[in-house]
Amino acid sequence: MALRYSNCRNVWRKALELIKELDRCTGTLPPYNSDLVSEVNNEIKHLIESNLEDARLDEENRSSGDVSLLPTIICRHSAIARNFRCLLAYHYNRLRCIRTMRWEFGGILPPDIKENLSQLELEWFSKYSNSLAQYMRSVGEEGINLTVNLKPPKSVHIEVRCLVDYGKYEMNNGTIVFLKKNTRHFLPRLECEELIRQGVFEHVVS
Amino acid sequence: MNNMDIDHDLNNLLEIEEDEEDEILLSPATLVKIIEEAWLNEKFSPEILPNKQEYVDLLLGQLAAMDDNLENASDRDIKKGVHQLEVDRLKFLVCSYLRTRLEKIETYIEHILKQENERIEKGEEMYLTDAEFNFANNFKEGVDKHFDNLMGIHPTMPISWKNQIVQPNINSFVFAKSKADIESILIDEGNDDETVYVNKDSQIIISYNSVSNLVKNGDVQLI
Repeated sequence: MALRYSNCRNVWRKALELIKELDRCTGTLPPYNSDLVSEVNNEIKHLIESNLEDARLDEENRSSGDVSLLPTIICRHSAIARNFRCLLAYHYNRLRCIRTMRWEFGGILPPDIKENLSQLELEWFSKYSNSLAQYMRSVGEEGINLTVNLKPPKSVHIEVRCLVDYGKYEMNNGTIVFLKKNTRHFLPRLECEELIRQGVFEHVVS
Repeated sequence: MNNMDIDHDLNNLLEIEEDEEDEILLSPATLVKIIEEAWLNEKFSPEILPNKQEYVDLLLGQLAAMDDNLENASDRDIKKGVHQLEVDRLKFLVCSYLRTRLEKIETYIEHILKQENERIEKGEEMYLTDAEFNFANNFKEGVDKHFDNLMGIHPTMPISWKNQIVQPNINSFVFAKSKADIESILIDEGNDDETVYVNKDSQIIISYNSVSNLVKNGDVQLI
């Protein structure tokens, strides 16, 4: 019975590659690597099937006192477990990242980020987004927006520089400001917070 | 609305009537202090703590009233800015407190829900508010569905990964300040002799596990 070393040697490479890919892009979300994921899936499938087969053979050999297949089975089993962990880690950490984006961008993701999500992740995102919104509505009497006030305030107004030609922007009190590229404004912090996150403003720290 | 009203708001905010007979007077300063302490505790404790929903709701109600008053105040008044900043600070406090709790719920979702369900069974008071509990259940549903879809690779797939749940490390060390004289804190659970006496206002570094009950009943403040 030949041990299939040839395919055992590369067993962990692909799964590890997934993890490395995420690790390289800390803070951003790389495109969902469905090719590699399905390769790892196939690898797991393959390992499980060969293991089932060998387990059956082993059962037969056992009666004649032959346990030579056992080490192979154990090896494959830990390879399966390892691949599994890598897959779980890959997907879980992506979810964490998507979750952070819900807090940064609100319920609607920018299209360029949306492209990087898998279908399942998009579904998860919309569910998460809904339950978060539902929670925020149910706090207090009128609901509360938890995605603002992320940092302790130091002053009511802050100085910001406008980075894009945004056009007219109406503030909560009805005042309309005209936001032109490279202009500086002194505005209430609350109004700016979201625009800063969207990349319209840059906080000028003097 | 004039400034007198805002001053009045800040200085003499509230008077809660819980029941007709059971009237509790709570000054705004006390209310803010309660939330501040809850916030610090929540920030530093590894596990989720009992909710303070009534206080949060009270403070939110007050903040809404103050917002209304501020909107009506004149923009030229120098006091308005000061009040606005104060209101913003309080808003940050509440938001951060609630956010911290949500983050814990998300991270330790399985663990927390398991504990909550045990509490329901025993008829104990729940740590999560109704809204948080809803959120937690929805969150778990979403994550479970996501991973079930992903991990159904092979029919004979082991499902043992579902049992590996993320748990808070309740033995991690915390800085704590005692708010009362505490006779004895058990440091080593296996050994009854290992206790410490803690004076009021003294500060200690201790394993969270040893003081978790004291944190929950308010004798110890995490810092």
